[in-house]
Amino acid sequence: MSAGHAPAAAVERASRAATVEVRSLAHRYGSRLALEPQTFRLESGITAVTGANGSGKSTLLRIIAGLLRPSEGEVRVTVDGRDLEPGERRGSIGLATPELSFYEEMTAFENLEFAAEAHGLAAPARAAREALERVGLAQRADDRVGALSSGMRQRVRLAFASLGGPPLLLLDEPGSHLDDEGRATLERWIALVAPRTLVVLATNDEREWRLAERRIQLRGRDLGHPA
Amino acid sequence: MRNDASSSAAAIWAILRKECRSEWRTRYGISAALLFSITTLTSVSFAVGRLGDRGDILAALLWIVLLFASLAALSHSFVREVEGRTLTLLRLVASPTSIAIGKLLFNLLFLGVLELVTVPLFLVLMGAPPPHWGRFIALLGLGSAALAASSTLVGALIAQTRSRGSLFAAVSLPLLLPVLAAAVAGTRAQWSDGSIAAPVEMLAAYALAVMAMSLLLYDHLWED
Repeated sequence: MSAGHAPAAAVERASRAATVEVRSLAHRYGSRLALEPQTFRLESGITAVTGANGSGKSTLLRIIAGLLRPSEGEVRVTVDGRDLEPGERRGSIGLATPELSFYEEMTAFENLEFAAEAHGLAAPARAAREALERVGLAQRADDRVGALSSGMRQRVRLAFASLGGPPLLLLDEPGSHLDDEGRATLERWIALVAPRTLVVLATNDEREWRLAERRIQLRGRDLGHPA
Repeated sequence: MRNDASSSAAAIWAILRKECRSEWRTRYGISAALLFSITTLTSVSFAVGRLGDRGDILAALLWIVLLFASLAALSHSFVREVEGRTLTLLRLVASPTSIAIGKLLFNLLFLGVLELVTVPLFLVLMGAPPPHWGRFIALLGLGSAALAASSTLVGALIAQTRSRGSLFAAVSLPLLLPVLAAAVAGTRAQWSDGSIAAPVEMLAAYALAVMAMSLLLYDHLWED
């Protein structure tokens, strides 16, 4: 496991500074309010977004990543002072979310190599190998994703998010399905990248939100409030 | 990171390679397409024998076989991403335009492979070698480009809708009918030594127009 030896390329790219500014942001799916109005600004470090099921944690991350257009309000993502339009953010964001799936007929390495190549990284094979080493999955790199357990698939998601060392990491329930060793790996990795990466964790797991320096609690109308 | 142009080219190339690799591993589309074309041509051959003197039937048969053999695979390239829940992955690594161009190139390649098997078999079984190979190949190429462009667009349009089945027919008909009509007209004309200029122009213009329209649309298609 290589939380202690991040690749030089990743460190170099992660040295770009990212900020996220959210103003009066809300989202509806049809008539249902999925995310109540939010306003905040994130400049560095680790932020946890907590809240009951259905309070909009995943929706918030999808909007920040540029995958979802908000119903109201706006999100500004800047990298090194430059505003990124939603369509430009993919090059600067690492997103791991439960809805992220990989091609089951391809190996973990092939999936990540494809992602790195499509991302435009200079050495895709190397980036993919390093990402798999980072999450402790180097031994299973050549296994097809369809043959991996749910915990291993979660590691592939985390490896995908870490590709190329993005300056903004959005991790939705990052510890789900992980065993103790996997959680320790995750914590070491987050601790390693946090000084130069803006990390947003969407979670209700105390072991994860305790890693954060600040916490944003979302309140959903329909399903009550978190404990 | 590379600049925008080389980054898009890298993404398109990566998507094309990924499509080829997936198809090679699963044989999702090519097996069904070849099964359809071979059984159809063999059945027609057994039933009616050689049709060398019937350019009208030959032209219609060729394009019907190519259309139906390829349509399911071509238009489902996006649906597979939605059903396999891999569209999020694609959207995170490439722009919608790069994704669509990568898929279009794969669909063209898919049609090319299908035609490599189907067209020689068709010509042998029907006993109808084309009088002008250049014209025949030009019509085949332009017809395939128009067919690939249209079916890629149909696939992108229906992929994220709930009622894909009914929409597929409703969207396909107006987009594919002009392609089929021009391709059949041109192919019939080349067998009867007529002029193919009008169908060739029609197919080329249609393919270009659909590709241009697609490039304008793709950036907005997958916004949730």
